[in-house]
Amino acid sequence: MKKLVCYLFLSMLVGFLQPVLAQDAPTTQITLRGKITDKKDKSPIAHVSVAEVDKDGRIVRGVTTDIEGNYALRITNTKHKISFSYIGYKTIEEDLQGKTTFNVQLEIANANSLNEVIVVGGRRTDNGNMSVSDKNLTIASAKIQAKDLEEMGSSSIDQALQGRLAGVDITASSGDPGAGMSIRIRGTSSINAGTNPLIVVDGMPYETAIPSDFNFGTADDQGYAQLLNIAPSDIKEIVVLKDAAATAMWGSRAASGVLLISTKRGIIGKPSLNYTFKGTMSKQPETIPMLNGNQYSNLIPEEVMNRTGTPLNTQNVKEFAYDPNDPYYYNNYGQNTNWIDAITQTGYAQDHNLSITGGGQKARYFASMGYFNQTGTTIGTGLTRINTRINLDYIVSERIKFRTDIAYTFTDNPKGYSPGSTAQEIRNVALNKMPNMSIYEYNEQGILTPNFFSPAANIQGQYPVTYNPVAMANAAKNRVYGNRITPHFNISYEIIPRTLILTGDIQFDINSTKNNTFLPQIATGRPVTETVVNRAYNGDYDGFNVQSKTNLLYTPQLKENHTLTTLVSFQTYDNKTISNQALTSNSASSLLQDPSVPSRTQNQDLNIGAGYAQTRTIGLLWNAQYAYKERYIINAGIRMDASSRFGPANRYGSFPSISTRWRVSSEPFMKSIKQINELSLRASYGQSGNAPRYDYSFYNNYASNGWSYQGQGGVFPSSMELSNLKWEVIHGLNFGVNLIAFKQRVNIDLEVYRNRTKDLLFYGLQIPSFTGYNSVDMNVGMLDNQGWELNIMTTPIKTKDWVVDFNFNISQNQNIIREMSPFYPKQNVTALTANGQYQAFLQINNPFGSIYGYRFQGVYADKAATIATDAKGAPIIGPNGQSVYMRFNYPQTDYVFQPGDAKYEDINKDGSIDYKDVVYLGNSNPKLSGGFGPNITFKGNFKISAFFNFRYGYDVVNGTQMTTTNMYGFNNQSTAVLRRWRNPGDVTDIPRAIWNAGFNWLGSDRYVEDASFLRFRSITARYTFTAKTLKKLKLKSLSTYLTAENLITFTKYTGQDPEVAPRGISGPFTIVTDNSTTPPVSMITFGIATSF
Amino acid sequence: MTKRKIIVGFTIVLAFSMLATSCKKWMTLQPQDGITRQEFWQTKEQIQSAVTGSYASLLGDPTGNDKPLSEYLFLWGELRADMITNGLGVTNDELDIINVNTLPTNANTKWASVYRTINYCNTIIDFAPSVINNDKTLTQVQLNAYLAEARALRGLMYFYLVKSFRDVPLKLKATSSDQDLQQIPKTSADTILKVILADLKYADSNAVFSYGNSMVDKGRITKYTVKAMLADVYLWMDNYTDAVDACNFIINSNQFGLIKGDDGWFNTLYFKGNSAESIFEFQYDNQKLNSFFSMLTTNRGRIYASPYVMDQIYTIDYVDDTKKDIRGEGASIRTSDNAIWKYLGVTSNTGRTQDASFAHWFVYRYADILLMKAEALNQIGGRGTEAIQLINTIRNRAGALAATNTNPDPSNKNDMTDYILAERARELSFEGKRWYDVLRNAKRNNYERKDILLNMVSRSAPGARQQSAINKYKNPDAHYFPIYFNELLLNPNLVQNPFYK
Repeated sequence: MKKLVCYLFLSMLVGFLQPVLAQDAPTTQITLRGKITDKKDKSPIAHVSVAEVDKDGRIVRGVTTDIEGNYALRITNTKHKISFSYIGYKTIEEDLQGKTTFNVQLEIANANSLNEVIVVGGRRTDNGNMSVSDKNLTIASAKIQAKDLEEMGSSSIDQALQGRLAGVDITASSGDPGAGMSIRIRGTSSINAGTNPLIVVDGMPYETAIPSDFNFGTADDQGYAQLLNIAPSDIKEIVVLKDAAATAMWGSRAASGVLLISTKRGIIGKPSLNYTFKGTMSKQPETIPMLNGNQYSNLIPEEVMNRTGTPLNTQNVKEFAYDPNDPYYYNNYGQNTNWIDAITQTGYAQDHNLSITGGGQKARYFASMGYFNQTGTTIGTGLTRINTRINLDYIVSERIKFRTDIAYTFTDNPKGYSPGSTAQEIRNVALNKMPNMSIYEYNEQGILTPNFFSPAANIQGQYPVTYNPVAMANAAKNRVYGNRITPHFNISYEIIPRTLILTGDIQFDINSTKNNTFLPQIATGRPVTETVVNRAYNGDYDGFNVQSKTNLLYTPQLKENHTLTTLVSFQTYDNKTISNQALTSNSASSLLQDPSVPSRTQNQDLNIGAGYAQTRTIGLLWNAQYAYKERYIINAGIRMDASSRFGPANRYGSFPSISTRWRVSSEPFMKSIKQINELSLRASYGQSGNAPRYDYSFYNNYASNGWSYQGQGGVFPSSMELSNLKWEVIHGLNFGVNLIAFKQRVNIDLEVYRNRTKDLLFYGLQIPSFTGYNSVDMNVGMLDNQGWELNIMTTPIKTKDWVVDFNFNISQNQNIIREMSPFYPKQNVTALTANGQYQAFLQINNPFGSIYGYRFQGVYADKAATIATDAKGAPIIGPNGQSVYMRFNYPQTDYVFQPGDAKYEDINKDGSIDYKDVVYLGNSNPKLSGGFGPNITFKGNFKISAFFNFRYGYDVVNGTQMTTTNMYGFNNQSTAVLRRWRNPGDVTDIPRAIWNAGFNWLGSDRYVEDASFLRFRSITARYTFTAKTLKKLKLKSLSTYLTAENLITFTKYTGQDPEVAPRGISGPFTIVTDNSTTPPVSMITFGIATSF
Repeated sequence: MTKRKIIVGFTIVLAFSMLATSCKKWMTLQPQDGITRQEFWQTKEQIQSAVTGSYASLLGDPTGNDKPLSEYLFLWGELRADMITNGLGVTNDELDIINVNTLPTNANTKWASVYRTINYCNTIIDFAPSVINNDKTLTQVQLNAYLAEARALRGLMYFYLVKSFRDVPLKLKATSSDQDLQQIPKTSADTILKVILADLKYADSNAVFSYGNSMVDKGRITKYTVKAMLADVYLWMDNYTDAVDACNFIINSNQFGLIKGDDGWFNTLYFKGNSAESIFEFQYDNQKLNSFFSMLTTNRGRIYASPYVMDQIYTIDYVDDTKKDIRGEGASIRTSDNAIWKYLGVTSNTGRTQDASFAHWFVYRYADILLMKAEALNQIGGRGTEAIQLINTIRNRAGALAATNTNPDPSNKNDMTDYILAERARELSFEGKRWYDVLRNAKRNNYERKDILLNMVSRSAPGARQQSAINKYKNPDAHYFPIYFNELLLNPNLVQNPFYK
């Protein structure tokens, strides 16, 4: 690393010294004199800076005028220029031409020039390394201005982007504050979860992954994707690079797409102070109606009786005794508690952001500070964030510029304590919890005490299956604290002005995350000897990241009609992560909540651990873009990557890319068609390589056992050497059409693509266990990820008073396996003979996402209905003339269906329901998804925008329905079970209750539902105050708005939410199952934005 | 201008060439919180820790994803037999095995935990011999002793597999790289038994007699442990003279004896462990607890003793309640709730708490050797009286009740077989042996005594399932577990065991 940094500075130094060395010696010493006055009222202006500048615009010497407007400046070189500048006035620059007196009149700059943007020549898109004007782009990309999103009440930019960009799919892992988002660009081109795109902030990659060996106590890494914690108000625009030719620029970490984020920078002008405020109120919608205590207490004894044939013995199971002579049980188990309501609250959020921006010719600044505070809809959840950012630009001369950006973010994210699996999360436990239980304990006399009622165990089980959710929400702790600072330094030197530019970037990223959890005894009720009592965890993870980038950009001045830009870029990445964690238990009280409090550490589930991992990559890139007459544009490049995650044999990879654009509309034959402003055809092909997720996998690693044997430490081989592991290479092919017509009022982008991933990396591929291992990471096959996207932006109405925009995006994406390793299983690992399981197969050349299972046909009303019938519908008669009844999985399981059992279709009419009766039930690949919405502006200051998103042709397994109607365990059930089968002859669609037996909830079409939906995602009304009002208020700008989100969803789906749960298809065996028990929260946001 | 260009160009070229050379070094990173194979295998201490690691894997899955091996061994040895019954907390998979309805989808038929330990042993066997080149203080004898431990442990693991699954894949090379991955078919049980014998014979000639510490001697494999394994394997292979020889080696060594059946007997033998009676135990302790507490405790426990155990196996003396078999109430069973007390008690009447759930898992102890010898003697024929003497030693220590003494004719092999088997049930109850004992005696001489197994099933299977269970067990193929279906999906060369196809 040292060498690299050395090199970087060395090359910069060469750049710095050069003009200094080259400078000509001063010829004469001349003193200039003069007076500066205002052009309008002829009054003298004080403090005007008068400077001698060289031919590169670099200040050599400078003075300011006195109160009379006079100045005197000794000049070093007569070839130089003299410049006069003052904030609010136009800058004047003049050649000396031998004169010694300059009396200058300065003119007030008008408002426009104050906000003048430096870049000219149309909108440009920066791929992070070079900026190309939009009309010459050869790649597929999408751009969104952060301004369009700022009305939304979301805490992070990724939340706000949901559904806004064609082909970009963003889903939240939960509705809680600070929950992670998964971002997928054009679906997934890998068969692993966790293929988030690379985030690039101001030209440098931004780390969003946490190391795999750090477990953060209990949650998964998805829960911590809050790492993208740049304040939305600091963001200027976001560009999504979609095709492989575009992402090839960024190398191995960009294989799943690139999200380029530019933050705001200072602009020339007087200091402008901006303040924005957002206040949001969020409310949890109604959940599934569940049984109350009385209904539940009827169900459970019936359920047990159906299994055992004898009534539930309430002597032993006092939970259902309802005996007034036993006041303890009578009161504690005689309530009608709504556990969900007891842990739910109304959420509030406030977001303040103050920024100041401004600058002069030489220096510009943008500084901001934000404060965000949110309380979630579940008690005990929230998010506090404080962030600051300073972006400074200094222009030393026309040839040397540098920038320094420093951003700091602090987050404090109280999350609900989660014992481990999703089913044990607080909302799920609350939903499943016995409703006849009391929140607070009644004592033996039947008097309510203020103590939480947390029995060590009852018929539902014990912690972690069940616990007191109210006690958990109030007394448990799970906080994540984050401190992140990212200084970024950039210098750019024009070796040959406007032709050969050298830029150097170096960015440090220090990211410290601390997770503190505490599990109190008062929530679990377990005996004090167990380690789940007063269990305290403290985990600390620190990431140190140094990245550098050196670019040499060559733009020769060619003859007319030819343009060429060439880039050579060298990038390094060094990421070191250190983690420490401690887990202790049995502190003396539920109030002693830190592992530092003396408590128990011995035992294998209590431990102290540390982790260390380091990754390095190097990238060397060459890229050139050539255009002829702006009609024929071609871009070609090659990138060489090296990653420390490979062994020496497979470490290096080189990935070429090529893309072209043909501007048909500029051809002479198109000139006559006046309606078309722009028509271009684009094609691109590119490769990018994906390195494995884990470090050191090319070693056969030995680890220490977590426990000793007879006091001696042991060592075991923890992973095998993966010497076959190689780059996963994505071959991306993209065709695009851009059409702009009718005076720019219709803008259509169409993209068709195919990303073919070869040598697919698969993590945790199961292998036969006789090897001693259960799984291995391997390159397993070839996957196609293909689809199309259509983006239409129109302005149907454009009059003096009214502007109506209408935007529409729609896309389709499929994943198809083309080749697969023999080690990869051919079907999902599931037991079709067990309840709740669906089958999925690996089908070469077929899209992912098909669901197979039984076909549900209602409930056997009585004994006669269970008689098996043959293909003709006649009853099957046994050899002795006896009736043959329907059986399950004959002869292995050989269960005879009883009246009240679920009836499944006997497809092959053999009288037995088994794997031969499994049929295709649906597919979880959305046929279409997208969004649309109008923006209506009236007189330029009143604006209404609405946004809808939709998914069509999308089958989902409604897992929540399954678990809330199966009547299989002791969990609370939904009110649908009130119409269950109870007596012979009952005709219903809900089978009988039977405890831990029967086959009433096999994976069948009963739970497969069409989750197509159309959601009215948001509506915003914004009023911008007119100039007249502003003048009165002495403000530069003022606007206020009101936004409502998640207003209404049109769907046939009976689950909680057709959108929220599934993270999409991540592999050939993904059966998209909606286990969400709570719909997304509805929010109302009020906001003010002002500047003065 | 051109000069400058040259300077700049030269500097860049120089810098890049510098980079190319340092690049390789910069890119090579080593893990810092583990050790790689290339760095390991340098000293004899490292062999020692690898051997310790393979023993440690007996206590639990080092990667933390699987049930501990001892739990599988308990379930495999007891669920199909007649001494247990299910509790409220029983899992469906356990219930299915109890109900003689084992399907290939039953998660309790996973063999991964056994093969995991086999791979650790294979790793030692493959790589430890190279250490002698690096560590001059390591002698060949020492090295062979370590290898003896690894090979004996591997033999023991394969023996469990053969007894449970019959034909299984035979892997004798370590999996150390993804280049070693292959999909191998099953090897016949006979071949595997030969391999087991070869491993044990190697261990027999190279294992140490003692590690100089009586506790370590019970937790690691000594020559006596190997002899016990050999006796067990010979008995399974119907080689009775060699089985007797192996048992005699242990008996004649005078290193072992039965603990006196007094008040402290339970505490010494089962709570403290590593007694004079013990030969090999999995050494749980307070920093590595076993999983039996939650499995067997009263509060929604999964497995309980069958009422049949007290009624028929130990019996109760209704006339004189001071007379009792010490192995029954307060040792094997707490009669108030039929909890399996061997893993729950400190003494006969005080129990463990969860954080003291470190009862050792018994693999071999002296009483087992005596009974194995008795069984072999009975089969050799003409030595039934000797066998009776051995059984009486056991019975006298335990104060076995007269009701359980069937007074068999020493020359009647069948009666003697039943008598020895019943005594094994009493002595080794809930130590994961019952099913294998029944199967071994039933399958002898081409299933001559299948009735033992069928009688057992008619006792243990629930009424509704009795007939189907008996019918299943008439087929010897049903006496072995199915291969877990996942293994078949992952390895196309693997064929499901015959009964489950």
